[in-house]
Amino acid sequence: MSDTTFMGVARDKIPWFPTIDYEKCNFCMECDTFCPHKVFERREGERKLVVANPNNCVVFCRACAKACGPDALSFPNKPEIIALIKQLREQESVK
Amino acid sequence: MKRAILSCNGLDKPEGSVAREVAIRAAGITGSEIICPVLLNRAPARYKKTLSESALIVVDGCSTRCATKLAGRFEAKVDRRVLVSDAVKASGHSLEPALNLRADGLALAQAIINQLLHNLDAPAEVAGPTSVFEAPTEFLTVTHDKFEFRIPVVDYLFNENDVWVRAADGVARVGISDYMQQRLTDISFFDPPKVDASVDQFGELGSLESAKAVFEVISPVTGKITAVNPAVIANPALINEDPYGNGWLVEVKLTNWPQDQELLIDGAAYADAVQRKAAEE
Repeated sequence: MSDTTFMGVARDKIPWFPTIDYEKCNFCMECDTFCPHKVFERREGERKLVVANPNNCVVFCRACAKACGPDALSFPNKPEIIALIKQLREQESVK
Repeated sequence: MKRAILSCNGLDKPEGSVAREVAIRAAGITGSEIICPVLLNRAPARYKKTLSESALIVVDGCSTRCATKLAGRFEAKVDRRVLVSDAVKASGHSLEPALNLRADGLALAQAIINQLLHNLDAPAEVAGPTSVFEAPTEFLTVTHDKFEFRIPVVDYLFNENDVWVRAADGVARVGISDYMQQRLTDISFFDPPKVDASVDQFGELGSLESAKAVFEVISPVTGKITAVNPAVIANPALINEDPYGNGWLVEVKLTNWPQDQELLIDGAAYADAVQRKAAEE
């Protein structure tokens, strides 16, 4: 998915995706069932769920975290990501 | 308005116990029937009449939101709703990890009731529109398979989160695009932001729910929320019917419009984005 962009910035340069807190996650798979973008993948073994496709995550969307009963999903700080996008856009426009 | 209450049963978490308490108190105050979610799931015919005649007060315990999902599955009309785990976060305290309600849980239940049943006979706790916007007349059309997505070309700007904005005289009206309403399919609930609250560009302006998905409305602008569309609160299907006109969501008094526009795209650029998104699905 590295050929996709968000606001003119290569998607893989924007670190916006969920992080799973495995201390809290109960592997109910609600987030995986909910997310239409296949960000998560189910696996065999101890960690039955992983963030397999972080760049599929819609930048600024946190809807999966709202579907998470045990509150095990977190996202980066939004203002910091916005600042990063602005910076990357400026760098791109200077080129 | 006849109401019924659909709640989390609350057997395994303190938030669930609070939800159950809220449901019982709300039933007493409003004289409404309580719908058992387990029985609804197992034998829906039992509640067919109730669901057809009533608007629901939905009480969810945790973010799994079983009650909301049940309401969606039976396409029930939702009058108002609360999520106890959000109310716990908003209170700034955590609940004692006990299933029998303690003083903190009982106090929280009463606080939730006060808010949930406030203004019971005037469900649209919203300020009306402050501006007049003409409906769009010129559209670009993006076609993908059997779908057609319309995008207005004059006066509308978009963010890449499928939210449009239209501004005049320092006030912006905001809604979702035709592409997003078609992706969500039948929208059953709009959880609006609070009027008078401030929002930053790319902050959240409430959320939409359909049987298929939950969609966070990502704000295209910075400012103060001045209005929520009462017609959409009463009838969320308006968003599907007329996403750029009568299905608008909120109005925002703009405080950073010149800078906001730098991170928005026009209709033509959004049409390219829609074409790309549709192809990636």
